Formats: sequence, structure tokens, C-alpha cells
Amino acid sequence: MEINRIERYWLLAVTTVLGAFAAATIVALAFFGIRLPSPVDRIDPRNLEQTEFARPGIRQLSGNRYEAYIVAKSWAFEAGPGLGNPPTLRFPVGSEVTFYVTSVDVMHGFQIEDHTANLELVPGQIARTTVRFNRPGKYSIICNHYCGAGHHVMYATIQVE
Amino acid sequence: MASISLTQIEMPASPRTLKLVKRERLLVGAHILTAFFALMIGIFMGPFQAFHRSPTFVQYFPTIPVFSYYYQAVTAHGVMNALFFTTFFIIGFMYFVTERSLQRPLRFQQAAWVAYALMFVGLATMLAVLLLEPQRSAVLYTFYPPMIAPAPFYLGLVLLVLGSWIASAILFFTYRDWKREHQNERVPLAVFIMLVTFIMWDVATIGVAIEILFMLLPASLGLLRTVDPQLGRTLFWFFGHPLVYFWLLPAYVSWYTMLPKQAGGRLFSEPLARVAFIMFLLFSVPVGVHHQFSDPGISASSKGLQAFLTLVVSIPSFMTAFNVGAALESAGRNNGAKGLIDWVWKQRWSDPVVAAQLFGMLNFIAGGFSGIINASSQLNATVHNTSWVPAHFHQTLGSAVTLTYISVLYWMLPAIRGRALFSKRMAVAQSVTWFIGMTLFGLAMGEAGLQGAPRRSITSTAPYVTESMRFWLDLTAVSGVILLISAILLYVNIFGTLFLSKQPAPEGEVPITTKSADTTSPLWFERWGIWLGVLALLLLMAYGPVFAETLDFQYGWNIQRYVPSSNAPMP
Repeated sequence: MEINRIERYWLLAVTTVLGAFAAATIVALAFFGIRLPSPVDRIDPRNLEQTEFARPGIRQLSGNRYEAYIVAKSWAFEAGPGLGNPPTLRFPVGSEVTFYVTSVDVMHGFQIEDHTANLELVPGQIARTTVRFNRPGKYSIICNHYCGAGHHVMYATIQVE
Repeated sequence: MASISLTQIEMPASPRTLKLVKRERLLVGAHILTAFFALMIGIFMGPFQAFHRSPTFVQYFPTIPVFSYYYQAVTAHGVMNALFFTTFFIIGFMYFVTERSLQRPLRFQQAAWVAYALMFVGLATMLAVLLLEPQRSAVLYTFYPPMIAPAPFYLGLVLLVLGSWIASAILFFTYRDWKREHQNERVPLAVFIMLVTFIMWDVATIGVAIEILFMLLPASLGLLRTVDPQLGRTLFWFFGHPLVYFWLLPAYVSWYTMLPKQAGGRLFSEPLARVAFIMFLLFSVPVGVHHQFSDPGISASSKGLQAFLTLVVSIPSFMTAFNVGAALESAGRNNGAKGLIDWVWKQRWSDPVVAAQLFGMLNFIAGGFSGIINASSQLNATVHNTSWVPAHFHQTLGSAVTLTYISVLYWMLPAIRGRALFSKRMAVAQSVTWFIGMTLFGLAMGEAGLQGAPRRSITSTAPYVTESMRFWLDLTAVSGVILLISAILLYVNIFGTLFLSKQPAPEGEVPITTKSADTTSPLWFERWGIWLGVLALLLLMAYGPVFAETLDFQYGWNIQRYVPSSNAPMP
């Protein structure tokens, strides 16, 4: 079976371009720390009592490092008392926040405007992502996975100051 | 079935004649017309969703006239267009291509009607549940658990898939009979592609069949109290990605085996086309996890492997671009093109059959590149679940595939009806407006997505919509107007051809090849057992770890942690 010369060049060019894409993925992983979500743990969504999600909210770990536990339910993000409705989470500029999020009913989504944070919230699974907030401003946390009739009003706000 | 000998079944005078015998008109016609009936319901909801998502539009027209419940419209648009329209069309088109190319009637003629009846009842069941239970059946065409729709929703899908399995068996047996009589011949390329399409489909549908039969349908009937959403999603996407190739490959039948003749050129390399389709067969299934890059329950290493395999499956599409592109160049040269690129526009643009496919291909360029962006896992994190994603698949499925199916309709409908196409100029105008509308749609939805606008959401009233999203969402509504015009042109032409056209159908030829021009590709390309074996190995490698971690063996299946099935929440 003959392969035409021009077509061989074409295949070579295509493979090179795709190789560059694959390399970019590896570079993003190795040097920019862009990591995909990986399993954290399972959780029983009917029984959050014994877990960190029993008290959703922000915990300061040290200096500029924080953890935030958030519970998603139709159609709100619960991030603890006193943050308003829908809640506003406040962080100083330069904070590095690890979000732990889980859903207690149907599928939800978790996307932070202008930042690389995009999680599927699958009931029964804990989703985790770490975000660094370098620019002051107001950013929405958007539920980007369809979750029923009130999907489009499900959001929260992050205030970086 | 044995009572009718196959030799008694009427066949057309020539495999290439546009005159269909009555048997073909009924069977193929029933599938194609049902397909375009399903599309008619789905297609008209599209523009109204674009209006519903636009803040400015809703400000001036607070009530959206058609299917005012947005999520019902999204569900119907997806289910009708992506599942029912495509499956009916593909089966009808592949029956036709196989019978004509192999010059023999389908094995089990009555079984083909049984399959059609099952799928038709599936369609009716689905329409009934979408209309009667608009809130509870609004689970979208991806129907992720634990949101559970009423049982008829799943029953409709079960009947559709069951019918398609029967159809695939009919096609496989027809091929086997032919092969027994032609052991040292290569099957015509169109049938080769058909076989790849249905083998892939049968493997892929195992995933969704397990999901529906063992999780969703029992949960919907109240027999099962718990379902695992992570497992459900994984089973769905095991099916969901090959599904897009199930749509695309029949369009490739037209691009590879019909368009070169319709455009007045010849295919560049048939052996390499076969290599491309074997790659499609092997690599289109073990990549479904690239839809789940953001899922918490699948490890990053499994995602990385499938991201790499996704880049591999784009190679045969690049090979297609070269091969079909070279065929179009030869057509352009025959039309008098002399320069380096003037063959691109020296094509038969006034022929709707050619124009529709060419416009589809132009959209497919954007669709292909945005697809590679999505496949790159780190870029996916910025576009996942945003309106960038529908922007991407409306360039591929919504344009390349749909316009190609429409191009087939433009030559096949006159043959089915026995009357000339109502208006050729209207058909060309339809292709042009579709191309413009989809290009604008892709730009606007894509940009809105990059600004953070989610897909499948009533963004017109969402509180988080920013000024920059707003502009692109409004522009999407403009593309909706153009696409609405295009859809109207399509259906005026269909109904015009069916009921108003007085001219007899033109005497013409269908570009069917009965004897493969390929004499160099190895005959073992048709040893399907080999490919199934390699595919099984690839699946084990790519999906073995994924199912191991979604089923979570270390927790002993984790039954006590499964999630109660809940109905779609009511407002």
C-alpha cells in the first residue's frame, strides 16, 4: 500500500502539531501547576454530620493560606453563617484558597469567574481545587451544571480586597 | 422470514439510478421522513433558546412564545436533534447505501420494519413524556443521575437503541452474505464506513444500556432507592463520545464516496481512507473521559491518558481533511481553477447538494480546532460547562453533520417523493443562511463562554451575568434569527416537495460505487475480529482503571454511600 509523498508530509505536520498540544498539556501540568481534579474522598450526602461539611465556611490555615468548605444544594451554595444570601466570601489579595465542595442532592457545578477553577459537583464525591487570588475584585461562583428549575439563580460571590 | 426468498425481492434497474423501487421508497422514505419530523420539533426550539438566553431580548419580549419553559426546550432540542433525528436518518441512509453498493436486498426485510416500529414507538413515547411532564422530564439529553425523569423518558430511549441494534444486525448479515460470495474483494468504501459506524455504535451503546437498564429505569420505577452519579456519568460518556462519531461517520460516507462525484472530481486515496476509518473504530471509544476532566471521582492519570488518546483520534479527521480536500481540488481544477487556492471557490455552489456539504465543511474547520482545544485538559478547565461547548458542537454536529444530512435529503427526497425538489435556489439560500447563522452562533456562544457564561442556563435573568457576557449573549440571539430563517427555508422546501411540487423527479444518478477502486489496501483490513480485539485491549487499558475507581473496590462497592434517587426538583 503506497502513501503519497505529499500526504506523508501532511501526516508528519499533523502529528507534530498534535505533539505540540500534548507537550503544552504536560508543560501546563509541570510548570504552571494546572492540575485536573483527582479523587479526594467519598462522602455520604445524607449524612454530613461527622464531616467538615457539617460546618461549612472559611478556615485560615496560616498567613495567606485558607480552606473553604462549601455545600451545594438546590439552588444555593452554603458557605456558613453570616455571609449573606447568596453568600459573599472575603479573602485578602494574594490568598491561596483550597475549596472543598460537595453536593447533597443533584449534580451541580462550581466555576469561579476569571480564574481556573471548574469543578463538577457529583453527589457522593468531594471535589477539591486550589485557587490563588492575585487581583482585587468581585468574582462570581457560578453553578455551571444544570440542576433544575432554579439553576440560573444559583451563585455566590468572592470578594478579593 | 424464510418464506420470502431474497432473489424475489425487487431491486432497482441499476444501482445508481435515482428511481427508487417501491420497497426502497417505503423503507428508506419512512426513516428519512421520520428523522426530519423529529428534527422539525427539535430545530425550532433552538432559536427560541437563543432568544431566552439574551438579556436584551427578554427585556423587550418578557414571554418567550414557544416552549416557555427553557429547560424543557433544551431537553427536547437535544433529545430530538441529537438522538432521534440522527439515529433514524443514519439507519435509513445506511440501508440505502448498503443495498445499492452491494447490489443485494437487506437480509431480513421484515425485521427492518420491526426495528423501525420499535424506534417509532420510542419517538412517540418520548414526545408524549416531554409534552405531558415538562418539569419532571427536563433532565436534558444527558440525563445525569441522581436526577430521575419519569419512566417513559428512558423507555423511549431503550426502544430507540433496541431498534438500532436490530438494524445493525440486519446490516452486518447483509454484508456477511456478500462477503461469502466475494472473498477476495474489498467491500466498497461506503459499506466499509457503514460497518465501522455500527460496530462502534454497538460497542458504545453497551455503556448507556447498562446505565439505563440497571440504574435509571429501575430508579424511575421506584425499584431502586440508590444510584451512583459518578458511575452513571462514566457509563454515559463511555457511550457519549462514540455517539458523536456515530453522527459524523455517515456524513463522511457522503464526503468520501459521493461528494467527489457530485463536485466533479475524484477521491485522492481510497486505501488511506480505510486506514482513517480503522483509526476511528479503535480510538473513538476509549476517550469518553475527556468529557469528565472536571469530575472529582476520576484520577488525573486516567484523564491524562484519555486526553492523549483524544489527540490521536483527531488524526483520522486531519487525514479526512487532506483526502476530501484533495478531491475538491481536483473538482476545482476540472472547473477551470489554475492558481494555488482558486479551486476553493471554483466549486458548484449553485448545486445545493454540493453547497450544503461545502458550507458544513467550513464550519467543521472551526469545530475541529475548538475540539482540540477542549481535548487539551488544561484549556478545558477554562471552558468546561460554559457556552463555549455548545458553540463547539454546533460547528461539528450542528453544521458539518446536519448540513451534510440535509444535502442527502436534497437529492433523496425527490427520489422518495417522485417529484422534483420544490426550489433549488431556496435550498442554496438555506445552506448559506445556515452557514452564516452557525458561524455567528459559534463566535457569540464561544466568546460568551470565555467570559464565563454557563451553557444550559437562563442567562437572561441570571444574576451573575456581566456586561461583557451580555453583548455576546445578545449576539447569539441575532444568530438565532438567521438560523430560524434557515430552518423555515428548509421546511418550506420539504413540505413544498412533498405536497406542491408538480415537476417529475429528475432522471439522474446517485454516486454509488459497487466495486471498490482500491486494489492495494490489505484484505485483512476487513478482518473485524482483529479490530474488535485491539479495541477491547484499548478499552481495558483506558477504562479499566476508570471503572475500578468509580466502582471503588477498596470500599467494597460502597453501597451504603450511594445517593438516593431524587426527582428533578420542582420550582
